[in-house]
Amino acid sequence: MTKIHYFLFASIAILSLFAPCCLSAQVDTLGTEEEEDFSMYDNLDFADGGTKRYCTSKVLDLSPAKLISLSYDFQGPYTLQSDSVGSTLAGDAKIQNSHGIRFGFNVPVYSRNSLIVQAGLSYAEQQYSVNSDLPLANWIANQGLRTTSGMITVFKPINEKHFFIAQAQAEMSGNYSLTEWQPLNTLLYSGVAIWGWKKHDRRMFGIGLTRSYRAGNLNYIPAILLNWTSLNRKWGAEVLAPARAHIRRTFSPRHMLFFGYELEGSSYRLANTPEVSSPFSSHELRRSEVRIRGVYEQSIKGFIWISVQAGLRYNYEFNTDELPNNQEFFRGFFGEQPYAMQNEIGHTFYAMVGIHLVSP
Amino acid sequence: MTMKQSFLFSLLTTAVMLSLSLTSIAQDGDRILGVWEPSNGKARVKIEKIGTRYYGKIVWLKEPNDVETNLPKVDKNNPDASLRNVPLKGYRLLKDFTFKSGDEWDSGSIYDPENGNAYNCVIKMTDANTLDIRGYIGIEAFGRTDVWKRLEVPKK
Repeated sequence: MTKIHYFLFASIAILSLFAPCCLSAQVDTLGTEEEEDFSMYDNLDFADGGTKRYCTSKVLDLSPAKLISLSYDFQGPYTLQSDSVGSTLAGDAKIQNSHGIRFGFNVPVYSRNSLIVQAGLSYAEQQYSVNSDLPLANWIANQGLRTTSGMITVFKPINEKHFFIAQAQAEMSGNYSLTEWQPLNTLLYSGVAIWGWKKHDRRMFGIGLTRSYRAGNLNYIPAILLNWTSLNRKWGAEVLAPARAHIRRTFSPRHMLFFGYELEGSSYRLANTPEVSSPFSSHELRRSEVRIRGVYEQSIKGFIWISVQAGLRYNYEFNTDELPNNQEFFRGFFGEQPYAMQNEIGHTFYAMVGIHLVSP
Repeated sequence: MTMKQSFLFSLLTTAVMLSLSLTSIAQDGDRILGVWEPSNGKARVKIEKIGTRYYGKIVWLKEPNDVETNLPKVDKNNPDASLRNVPLKGYRLLKDFTFKSGDEWDSGSIYDPENGNAYNCVIKMTDANTLDIRGYIGIEAFGRTDVWKRLEVPKK
């Protein structure tokens, strides 16, 4: 090879080293933000014939779903009127306050246009501050009550207008400690299935059926879903009845105010503890309350939100059933099986503050 | 050919092959260029390349005007008040993506003008006409995937 050939090879090699940079520089046509004719994008076809469209699981301005939540709940003073049981006499006790932390974790394990599956865990406890000889008051003050639950939620859009939601949940409610759990045959199973319609981006509606312990006893109740946002996007409604319903005032996508209620409750297994032996050791406490409230939620930084709520905790039920060998029975709203204890607790104010990581 | 000639020839061959492979990688990354439509059909996004990174801007809106003002939609939910009058048509909602390898573009972000939030984002090309756009916060597990389809743009 001659020197000319070497020179040519070297030149080609050097040019080819820099060529990608030069070519990529030529690809850049937007550095000067020249005017573009957007009308050319009006009537376009899909390159491969298109794709099936699905409705989303949200409406505009819906409050963000909470991936991780940590809250503290506080209730003011109220009276407990305990029924007699066995040789234990009836009586009253003054509960100074009740309080507890709540933790929730709910993440999408599969999230695409055609299917969303979420899995979650939650924990809520209620500690009672009471100084009384009344056995029931003394007993719940000793260990408190707690609920630990796991759940799976599926949102399946059928097309642009129809969808199906299902949720299944298993929870353990009682006076157990986190180091000594209840038997697994005390697990409570609940769920909901809803068939829905999404008319447009501001309204979705559904009807279905729920199996729930929120009223204390096991019940099968119709479920109604409504998520709605007004045309001016300042107002909305978020309803999953009978569990909860709220009217929403949207100040911006990052802060909003709600008024409404939530029905909370479960069926708590009462068991002896190392400290306290009680006449209730085979009893199941049917606890249910309605929280009529105002809630304020705001983003404090990006996807970190805080929430503050306050209102009236209205007691619905605090009776007990005796369940030998943990054998549950169905009473519903209309059953006439007598309670082992018919107790009353007073209504009181409550407040809750929380911090949350919300979902995109 | 002498040893010195052989060495030079090998060096030049390696340089040429390297430059060809870099060009090939760049062209692989350019497969994402074009106009795409998100699954909700409410907008069309043109993905372009600026320097070595990829960006996507809105070029069409199904509902181009605000229902309250009847004027072209602007970025009214932007956390930065100074940006709330920027028109959405022409707005770059995909930013700073780099071609990783294979069928993935990452290290970018996606902006949602409906709520003013920006998310980390990764794009995966499942086939020549389909993109999985996954926006997430922190880790990919905390995110959602939307499927975008390619649109045919008539040549001028």
